[in-house]
Amino acid sequence: MTTPIIDLRQLNLSLESRAGQVDILRGVDLQVRAGQSVAVLGPSGSGKTSLLMVIAGLEPATGGKALVDGQDLRALDEDGLAKLRGQSIGIVFQSFHLVPTMTAVENVALPLEFRGDDDAFDVATDLLKEVGLGHRLRHFPAELSGGEQQRVAIARALSTRPKLILADEPTGNLDGETGRQIVELLFSLHERFNATLVLVTHDEHLAQRCGRTVRMSDGLIVSDTEAEPAL
Amino acid sequence: MTETAVEARLTQEQPTRPLALPLRLAVRQMRSGFDGFIVFIACVALGVMVISAIGGLASALVTGLESQGRQIIGGDIALSRMHARVTEAERASLGSIGVVSESSTMRSMARTVDGAEQLLAELKSVDGSYPLVGQMLLKGGKDLDAALANGVVVEPILLERLSLSVGDQVKIGSAEFTISGVIEKEPDGLLDRLTYGPRVLVSTEKLVDAGLAGPGTLIRWRYAIALKGPGADEDLEALEAARNKLKEKLSASGFTIVDRSNPSPQVSRTLERLRQFLTLIGLTALIIGGVGIANAVGNFVDRRRRTIATMKSLGASNRLVLSIFMAQILAITIVGIAIGLLGGALIPGLLKALYGDSLPIAPVVSVEAMDLMVAAGYGLLVALLFSLWPLGRAEQISPTVLFRDQVGEGSAFPRLPIVLATALIALLLAVIAVFSSDTPHIAAYFAGALGATLMVFYGLGFLVVWVARRLPRPKTPELAIALSSIAAPGGLTRTVVLSLGAGLSMLVAVALTDASLVRELTGKLPDNAPDYFMLDITRGDLEGFEKLIIKKAPGTQVQTAPMLRGRLVQLGGRNVEELKVPAEAEWALRGDRGITYSADVPDGSRIVAGEWWPEDYSGEPLVSFEKDLAKQLGVDIGDTVTVNVLGRDLTAKIANLRALDWESLSINFILVFSPNTLAGAPTNYLATVKLPRETSLAKEASVMKSLAKDFPAVTAIRVRDAVDSFSKVFERIMVAIRVAGSVTLVAGALVLAGALATAQRRRILDAVIFKALGATRFRILAAHAVEYLLLAALTAFFAIGLGGLAAWIALSQVIDVPFYLSWTAIFSALGVSIALVVTLGGLGTWQVLKARPVPYLKSE
Repeated sequence: MTTPIIDLRQLNLSLESRAGQVDILRGVDLQVRAGQSVAVLGPSGSGKTSLLMVIAGLEPATGGKALVDGQDLRALDEDGLAKLRGQSIGIVFQSFHLVPTMTAVENVALPLEFRGDDDAFDVATDLLKEVGLGHRLRHFPAELSGGEQQRVAIARALSTRPKLILADEPTGNLDGETGRQIVELLFSLHERFNATLVLVTHDEHLAQRCGRTVRMSDGLIVSDTEAEPAL
Repeated sequence: MTETAVEARLTQEQPTRPLALPLRLAVRQMRSGFDGFIVFIACVALGVMVISAIGGLASALVTGLESQGRQIIGGDIALSRMHARVTEAERASLGSIGVVSESSTMRSMARTVDGAEQLLAELKSVDGSYPLVGQMLLKGGKDLDAALANGVVVEPILLERLSLSVGDQVKIGSAEFTISGVIEKEPDGLLDRLTYGPRVLVSTEKLVDAGLAGPGTLIRWRYAIALKGPGADEDLEALEAARNKLKEKLSASGFTIVDRSNPSPQVSRTLERLRQFLTLIGLTALIIGGVGIANAVGNFVDRRRRTIATMKSLGASNRLVLSIFMAQILAITIVGIAIGLLGGALIPGLLKALYGDSLPIAPVVSVEAMDLMVAAGYGLLVALLFSLWPLGRAEQISPTVLFRDQVGEGSAFPRLPIVLATALIALLLAVIAVFSSDTPHIAAYFAGALGATLMVFYGLGFLVVWVARRLPRPKTPELAIALSSIAAPGGLTRTVVLSLGAGLSMLVAVALTDASLVRELTGKLPDNAPDYFMLDITRGDLEGFEKLIIKKAPGTQVQTAPMLRGRLVQLGGRNVEELKVPAEAEWALRGDRGITYSADVPDGSRIVAGEWWPEDYSGEPLVSFEKDLAKQLGVDIGDTVTVNVLGRDLTAKIANLRALDWESLSINFILVFSPNTLAGAPTNYLATVKLPRETSLAKEASVMKSLAKDFPAVTAIRVRDAVDSFSKVFERIMVAIRVAGSVTLVAGALVLAGALATAQRRRILDAVIFKALGATRFRILAAHAVEYLLLAALTAFFAIGLGGLAAWIALSQVIDVPFYLSWTAIFSALGVSIALVVTLGGLGTWQVLKARPVPYLKSE
């Protein structure tokens, strides 16, 4: 069996709050193979987004083990984690999180620039054309609609050809039709680039598009089902 | 029902209380406190505090001066003039209104009997009735009359410098006295002198007997009068009447008259000028703070966009929206003004407690309503000036804001009445600043320069953003991020450039002016400047004096001129009191001027109009006038000039105009008469002595010793010491100006801090996104550093240019001192700019780097 791209063992995340310690993740075990698409479902507060943030190295786990692309996250410092993201991980946020002071093409080129790629802008331009925004290259985020912003965010997440795409409720801030278009785009790119996709969502229909569904409740994985391969 | 819905209902239900509604709604809106208004309040408070503190301090000093007027002038009225003692008739006039005390002051050399040590002393003679007011305190409680009967009393510093003690002999000029006491406190010592040396007090009788007050001596005779009658020291009408009576009786006598209500018009004038100038600087701080005010109001309006839109969608009119927000801004302004006034009222008392003892005038601190009102008025006007525009945009916000996901910058231009009101307030501020000044043209320069500076930096902010947007994107991500931050719409750039630029320009202008003045006063004296001024050389001694000096130090240049002191009383046949002359020429009409006569054009002078008189000229009295002053006083060739010398009026016709080289410090006179005009007057000579360049200090001392031995009555003033002595006084004034000048930078820093704080959340979010996309902390730090350094350096560059230009204009057009480009001042400005931006920005960046990403990514 190949090494999983995500390997979480007894992962814990506790945070201090005014009311005392809050246990957000309580011993999560999860292994994801390269190329898989995984939907993480669960009610609000179940720990879905936190799980995604720990995998992205944006939130340090307080216990257990987390290996992503073969690297032990707890052994990396902040800059090591940033480099890992730059090399291997693309993230799509619910609120898009584009840099408002940069144009669409600059936003998409940014991770490539961080990595030192010379052809950052060519790649970014191609990607934006691919997501249907060839005519919006020089627009600032404030000049784009919500759907357009999310397409820029997806192009940005994919610009480094990451092995792992993490998407946090990517359609949460979009209307139904725009959301459907974004989902189509995300899955088509996931397949074309053969990247692993971990998708946090509330949407059962969206979850059904994924090969595997993980359900969470109260910081624990309560079910983990893999769909039969389609004939 | 939402709060805004209730507000809307109130709008409809209570149309009869149009004023009360905005206020009620404003109060409800303010329940969230003054969050976001800290910088607004601080900017208003700082400016108001500076202006009210300056006003309070000036008032305290003026009140101090007035309340101690009797003590300072030694009576209710004091008259003084050079050279001539009162005549019997004049004495009778003085005696008719009160008790008179006669005194005199002059400079003289004090020496040890063997002539080994000497120093310049301020000699003062007094009669038996001195002092009429206050008490002369001598060490050990000695009696003044008894001490003066036995000799002279001196300030302790003289004993120390000449290594003498009480009971020893001291030579004053050519006379020898016993030191019979030591001065502990002199009641009227303040305004007589710009202290060149320690005081020596002698009885007038002894002074005259010793021949120290011979004809031609540069001696000032002074007559203090204590008015007769009970309560005369309180009665202002009686004082006025007595003064007018004396003025009338002694109109042609050449006396300068002061009274206890304004004991030193010169000091009062200087204080008033300083107050006006520092108030202008305070106003500048307030106006620079105005940028912070505008930012705070702009952000406030942005935060309330949805509330405004909701109100409008529920039926609130534009006017109601404007009124609600205006009421809130006014309330916040009042808080700022109150804090500023409190601080401003406390500062004079605090300064008095800290430095009161070192001030020549004991300040009388009280809270003057006028000072506070002026400061509050300026605070209110500036707050309105900078709030109206963003508030005007608030009322333009459309209810459709509610239906948009993302809100753009919005470029609504305020309505015309708001634009006009803003312009009117700006004009009003400029008019008040200009017309409340004694020197309106300087205030106008200042207002113009400030307006131009603000416009330049406002424009520069736009230009920087415009250029940054058009520059090709750099390959290095740090540079690219920095450049995109600089180019960002609604980013920090414009605020940083405007607030820091304006504050720094002011600082640079003050620093360069300061550096040029200090250099002019304390730097290397001009090569041709003399080393000594020698006073009171009698005509008989002149030749011997010159010979001795050349013999002792061959190569010495000695320049001599007869000198008297006289007061200008008429110009072109009109009394000088009636003349309206520009402020910069007023000095020439006040008090005495040195005057001379000469058969030839004096050295260092050049005739620019008219003809010099023949060597043996004996016709009607002629005078040569300095050209610039003649122009300022409105006189020209052919006009008459009347000068009171030795108590009598001399009238001469202007024959020519001369250009002078003042900086050379050679003997220069505004007025040079034809010799026949002053032929009969007893004159002594003034000499400048320039020793050969290689003269050692020991040699210099030995030359002076020889001169002292043969010409004991001659007073030697070392130019370097005199310049240093003046510089010390000047230095104190510059400290006040420097402190006020740095306040403008504090205002700029406040605005900057406010802008950075406002932008902080956005910057943290950006940094978190960069981290999520793979940026290391160093990258983020480097991007911030590049952005801040670029902005700070660019701003400093322009501030140095503009501040330098302002300093150059002030120096060359107003003060008439050569501009000196002080690199220290420039690099300090650059350093301060970079340090401020990098420190304040660095604090922000530190928070950015340590921020936990998740809350920002989740909540946005």
